[in-house]
Amino acid sequence: MVGAPSWGPPEMVVVAMARLLRDGEVVFHGVNSILPMVAVALARRVHAPRLRLLTIAGGIDPSPRALPRSTTDPELAHGSAAVLSNEDFYDLCMRGGVDTVFLGAAQIDGAGQTNVSLLGPRERPNVRLPGGGGAAVIMPTAERVILSRSEHSRRSFVERLDFVTAAGNVDRVVTPLCVFQRRSGRLEVESIHPTSTPEEVLARTAFPLTLAPNCPRTAPPTREELTALTVVDGENVRALEFP
Amino acid sequence: MPASLGLKTVRDPYGEAELVAVPRLRPDWAVIHVPEADARGNARIYGTPFWDRLMARAARRVLVTAERILPSEELARQPELTAIPELFVEAVVHAPRGAWPGSCYPHYGVDYPAVEAYLAMARDPNGLGAHLDADSPGSAGVPPAPAPGRAGRPRSQAVVQSPC
Repeated sequence: MVGAPSWGPPEMVVVAMARLLRDGEVVFHGVNSILPMVAVALARRVHAPRLRLLTIAGGIDPSPRALPRSTTDPELAHGSAAVLSNEDFYDLCMRGGVDTVFLGAAQIDGAGQTNVSLLGPRERPNVRLPGGGGAAVIMPTAERVILSRSEHSRRSFVERLDFVTAAGNVDRVVTPLCVFQRRSGRLEVESIHPTSTPEEVLARTAFPLTLAPNCPRTAPPTREELTALTVVDGENVRALEFP
Repeated sequence: MPASLGLKTVRDPYGEAELVAVPRLRPDWAVIHVPEADARGNARIYGTPFWDRLMARAARRVLVTAERILPSEELARQPELTAIPELFVEAVVHAPRGAWPGSCYPHYGVDYPAVEAYLAMARDPNGLGAHLDADSPGSAGVPPAPAPGRAGRPRSQAVVQSPC
């Protein structure tokens, strides 16, 4: 009898993201998206083998020999029979052909809007962030958007964004503490990971939040999920974004 | 919101929606590294074009840098592979490893150790100069530059002005 593989925040986050994906749907992730890349690879192996993956690297259903450390790496077009240009992707998204897009954010507010543009006053920012890429177009046009972060604090889950980069069809937000679901335009806690507590989620979220008395717990990663993770992400790139 | 950003709106001529119209971007230059070009500026891109095609069309002037310069007759055998026609191109530079430490598919991948070394150097105000002066041998299976002298650093070998 072999003991269960160990897991921590990186595994919990990518497993929670992978579980949200449905077999057969069209999924896209962009630059700087290590966690979505791993989550898609995991979902394809565990429960969604017919998921269609589009990436910013242009590959359609790529079969990378190993997951790269950058999601712009040409390895994410390896094995693809066709390359989808970025112009084509945006056109596809705007005509409703993309089911799920993963996006990130430096700040997320209680309505599920994101800031990837700047910190501080807009006229004189303290920090210039990388920018939203296509987020402002993708978020209202993709059927469903899943946000993720490798860090959950009052700095990132804010009451008021310093700048609204994107707003739209956010459905879930996955963090190292919990999964948020957007209901009636507001983020609510769908489940709290077994490694966290309701008190911690409340203390580390700055936007107003009400927890149900018996807030569900996220099911811990299963042995099957963890074994699949070691296969699809043998290089452990999922840990790169975590301290 | 649009007004505060200096953006204007237009009425969808086919529907009811009020749409935000964003002014076009017109860069002075696009500098685009490609695996293969001819001396006139016709450029092939293998793998993913990312935004190279769009940038080549948006910019007033385009500088192509290339791993290899091929005879035009060779590109003419498969013109559909030419992503950037010489019509748009101002000049071509033969620059082997010109994308380093980034990748140039299919010739070499990202040199992640070199990217990390650069990021570490860039924390120092003098880091950029140090980075530009540094010897950076190829790594992660990337063959060293064919140019004579130090490996790793991109090095221009020829500039061909296209007719204006």
